[in-house]
Amino acid sequence: MLFALWLSATRAEIRYRDGSAYVLSVIVLLTLIVWRIVFASRQRRPFMREMAVPQRRNNNVVDLEAVLAIAGNRFVNNSHAMDRFERRNRAITYLRRIVALTGATQTSQGYVLDVGTTRFFVRDGYVERQRDASDPKCGYERACFSLPYNRMPKEEQIATALLQLRNNPALFDRWAEQSGAYKADGQGFHCAQ
Amino acid sequence: MNAKIVTFSSYGDKTILEYDPAAADMDEVNRVIAEYEAKTGAQPFDMTTGEHIEKVTRQQNEVLMVHPIAGG
Repeated sequence: MLFALWLSATRAEIRYRDGSAYVLSVIVLLTLIVWRIVFASRQRRPFMREMAVPQRRNNNVVDLEAVLAIAGNRFVNNSHAMDRFERRNRAITYLRRIVALTGATQTSQGYVLDVGTTRFFVRDGYVERQRDASDPKCGYERACFSLPYNRMPKEEQIATALLQLRNNPALFDRWAEQSGAYKADGQGFHCAQ
Repeated sequence: MNAKIVTFSSYGDKTILEYDPAAADMDEVNRVIAEYEAKTGAQPFDMTTGEHIEKVTRQQNEVLMVHPIAGG
C-alpha cells in the first residue's frame, strides 16, 4: 500500500513537474498522512494487545477472586445451613430413640404414648390425655407445655415431654394447672433456684 | 468408649461432659450433674432405658439431662 502511494506520488510529480508545485505538495502531504496513520495503527496494535492480555488476566484474577469469595460465602452460608440441617437431623434421631425407649408410636398427627390405661397424644406444644384408653366414651383433656428454651427443636421438645410423661404421668396435671415449671420428678422449679 | 452427659438446648443437643467411665471419678461426674440441675432444673435420664436416675454410675454410657416443662 505504501509502495502504491509512493508510486502515485512520483507519477504525479513527473506529470506536474512543470505544472503547479501546489498539487505535488498536496499529494506528498496526503501520502505522509496516510503513512502516518498506517504506521500508527501498526504500532498501536501490539501495544493494545499487550494491554489486553494483562487486562484479561486481571479480569480472570478478579473473576477468580469473586468466584472464591462467592464460593466462600456460599460455603459459610452452607455451613450454617448444614448446621441447621445437622441439628435437625440429630434432633430427629434423638426423638426416634426416645419414641422407641418409651414405647410410643408415631401417628400422622403426633405421638401416642400409653402409660398403664392412660393414653397421651403428644404434639408440638400440647398434650391430650385420655384417662382410660379402653373406654371409648372417655373424653380428652388438653394441656399445653413449653420448655425454657423456646428455640429448642420441636423434636427435642416432644422427646422431653414423652420421657417425662412416661416416667411421671401425673406431670400432665401440673402442666394443665399452668402453675409454673416442673422438674421430671414433679418438683416445682423456679429460675432463681 | 467414652460416656457422655448430654442435654437439649436452643442449639440442638449438646454435650455437657464426656468422660471415660472406667477411669472417671464418678463423684465428680455426679457433682457436675447436681450443679447443672441446680442451675437449670434438668434431671438425668438413662438413654439406654429411658428411666429417670438419681445418680450416674459407670454402667451408664449416655445420660440425657431433661429440662423442666412448664404448662400453659
